[in-house]
Amino acid sequence: MKRFSKIMVSAAIYSFLLFALFGCETDNVQTLDKRNWQLAWSDEFDTVASGSLDTTKWSFDIGVGPNNDGWGNAELEYYTSRAENAVIDSNGFLAITAKRELYAGSGFTSARIKTKGLFEQAYGRFEARIKTPYGPGIWPAFWLLGANSDSVGWPQCGEIDLMELRGQKPNIISGTVHGPGYSGSASITKSFAYENVRFDNEFHLFAVEWGKDYLDFFVDNTLYQRITPENLTGTWVFDHPFYIILNVAVGGNYLGFPTNQTPFPQSMLVDYVRVYTEAK
Amino acid sequence: MKNRKSYYSITALIAMILISVSCERKLDGLELATYPTTPEVFIDGFSTGLYYAAYGTSKVTAFDVDYSVKYKGTSSMKFAVPDTSDPNGSYVGGVFGTNPGRDLSSYNVLTFWAKASQPAVLNEIGFGNDMGESKYKVTLTNVTLNSNWMKYYIPIPDPSVLTQERGMLFYSAVHQNGRGYTFWIDEVQFENIGTIAHKTAGIANGQDLVKGGAENGEEYQIADLYAAFNLPTGIDQKVGLTTSYFTFSSSDPSVATVSNTGHVMVLDSGSVVITAKMGDIDAKGSLTINSIGQPIMPAEPAPTPTNPANNVISLYSNAYENVTVDTWNTHWLYSTAENQFIKINGDDAIRYRNLNFVGIEFTSQPIDASSMTNFRMDIWAPDVTAGKKFKVMLVDFGANGIYGGDDDVSSEVTISTPTLANEKWISLNIPMSSFTGLTTKSHLGQMVLSGDLPMVFVDNVYFYTNGAVPTEPTTAAPMPSYIGTNVLSVFSNSYTNIAGTDLNPNWGQATVTTQVSIAGNNTLKYKGLNYQGIQLGSSQNVSGMAFLHLDFWSANSTLLKVYLISTGPVEKPYILTVPTTGWNSLDIPLSSFSPVNLSDVIQLKFDGNGDIYLDNILFRK
Repeated sequence: MKRFSKIMVSAAIYSFLLFALFGCETDNVQTLDKRNWQLAWSDEFDTVASGSLDTTKWSFDIGVGPNNDGWGNAELEYYTSRAENAVIDSNGFLAITAKRELYAGSGFTSARIKTKGLFEQAYGRFEARIKTPYGPGIWPAFWLLGANSDSVGWPQCGEIDLMELRGQKPNIISGTVHGPGYSGSASITKSFAYENVRFDNEFHLFAVEWGKDYLDFFVDNTLYQRITPENLTGTWVFDHPFYIILNVAVGGNYLGFPTNQTPFPQSMLVDYVRVYTEAK
Repeated sequence: MKNRKSYYSITALIAMILISVSCERKLDGLELATYPTTPEVFIDGFSTGLYYAAYGTSKVTAFDVDYSVKYKGTSSMKFAVPDTSDPNGSYVGGVFGTNPGRDLSSYNVLTFWAKASQPAVLNEIGFGNDMGESKYKVTLTNVTLNSNWMKYYIPIPDPSVLTQERGMLFYSAVHQNGRGYTFWIDEVQFENIGTIAHKTAGIANGQDLVKGGAENGEEYQIADLYAAFNLPTGIDQKVGLTTSYFTFSSSDPSVATVSNTGHVMVLDSGSVVITAKMGDIDAKGSLTINSIGQPIMPAEPAPTPTNPANNVISLYSNAYENVTVDTWNTHWLYSTAENQFIKINGDDAIRYRNLNFVGIEFTSQPIDASSMTNFRMDIWAPDVTAGKKFKVMLVDFGANGIYGGDDDVSSEVTISTPTLANEKWISLNIPMSSFTGLTTKSHLGQMVLSGDLPMVFVDNVYFYTNGAVPTEPTTAAPMPSYIGTNVLSVFSNSYTNIAGTDLNPNWGQATVTTQVSIAGNNTLKYKGLNYQGIQLGSSQNVSGMAFLHLDFWSANSTLLKVYLISTGPVEKPYILTVPTTGWNSLDIPLSSFSPVNLSDVIQLKFDGNGDIYLDNILFRK
């Protein structure tokens, strides 16, 4: 089990007791800068009556990727816009569901939604309250991609992964950035683990706070990774608008394939996605 | 884990719980444990109070502590699974227990590390086997091991009940493809792990079973219980467990009750659903019982048949001697029929219910009905309304006498209302000629009953003839197929017979002995048998043979014995079943004739009564 190092930030304005992380020892205090966040955009997924996604906020990626290569990761699923793969459930949660079924030549289906062209923002706080799916080969993600991806390509556009989870390790998530000179297996990444809590048992809050020269990664308001231009092995490209992506992949290079013991169907539940700007 | 010792003092116990469980534990409501909470079973040796008991029939020396192979620390548990042929026991198995028991209610899983000398399937491992009631036994089956150490988890379905558990670990394992292997287990301990999640439970393997046509007094046992958990590795794991982890309930206890061990008793008509909970989890699966209540039965037995016994080949009747019927319910695929053998005022009858179709077989001794004119069956049914049907199919296996080949024939007769009548015994006397497709009738092996009557009582199933009793066989005795070198023949067209044998020595008998041609085959006939000898041409050593084989036929004999005789004379009879239905081919083990000297057999003898036809009298290996 990986453990992350403590990060101490100056100015003791507010603090957290890291119960789950470090047991009952009360000397683990995080002190962070206070910021004044103003809500800029959100989806609370409250369209329970229709069950449909708000198409003024989200669009679907369909299929197996533009190059038919499992979205560049050898993923196994076929993304659809069907309700069985993405729906607002009766509790007011977005449910993205991966299923084991034959569909259009793929062995699994799932969904991937994005705010591309509908909402894009540089800097601020991006957060989502999520209950993950689980099981070997299940790969849920909450991430941001540079809005200029079509013109400059990946990884020049930049990618910020707020939450990725390997279903065979349901108590560990990762936060990662990709850019020119630090993409794929050379990306800048850090994992966060709860020793005795799983991310698929209840909702957890995943957030990134993004400034001109830093990216702070949070789980349940605990800062576990700060990335600055000095940390990078390439150019800082986090200086232009990014859009949001939510998806559940099945299989792929990142985590391996599902097994006969992987329970299906598997749903990622999202209570809300909120984006803030900082009011100076 | 920090707590390696048992704490017996109250203050120490409370302090420990505070540290190890959580920060939010409230003191009020905390019960004082009266049993030790020691989590370790085997770390580097037996934990406090642990004992080992091997299963009685297992190879008891298979378990040992291994100081060279271990996952961690100084030692592990080694289990040497024997070859299947090991004279000291063909499997390993046993129980690690403590007395007194332990309070395991603060843990949620038994964990251990294991590996094996080769990829192998460990058949069974678990806890809660206390070599007694084993009330809270939990079993993991078919655990795959390989040559790398891996961690295994056996979740506790409901820790709150394990307040004085004595069964810490049990296991059993057999060879892989006949050959033994070795597996090791280490770091066996109870733990409380937060990364075990998504607990579910089920009965009946999670299926919703429906039992139709149930009746008062019937009992069922809820079985196939499981609990399932998602392990820290993201995979689901099922464990088998005892009924004690469940509470069962009946949706209508006036129709059927269920005990706390899952035993269901039907009390009245109606529909009822049996469900269960494990702790506060609703178990998946259920048993729905649709009960008709008190079953309807005939008040009177079927009429006693009046056909003369000599004219009858009976399969089921108290009025006649019955031939061998292998089964009255073959339970073929898709057949829902159940059968019960019941008595109606002392008379035997067969009750079929949930009858869609049922197979009945008499293949081990096929029936020769070639001389019979009718098929008889008495039936009684409580669901007869206009248009209902009952069908009888007969299957003849043809000359080869077995199912398959190209010579099987069958034919079905359908009986409808008004021949069928409700709640009345109906005697069906079906002419054999009505079975139009039944072109051969000398090797009948199957009968199939079907139709749309779900409940049918059956009695007096037999073939009979209206004409004269046949007095001689219509077919030749079966042709023997033994290799000539394995045969010493006394009387057969198929082999060279012992030279000089006298088939009719004058021993003062009344029997009239002749040789007659039956369907072109030379056959030995004893008319009016009292006794009859056969004098072999010379003394025969048959100690290298295994059987005395003979084919016999009699329509009217009620007693028939065959004797071997050696010098002395020393003789021993063997009783033959008569009368026969067609030719009866018999292989009598020669050991049956002890103390006759098998190296000096000089004569054979038959006694009894009636007219007997014999063929293929021979010794064979």
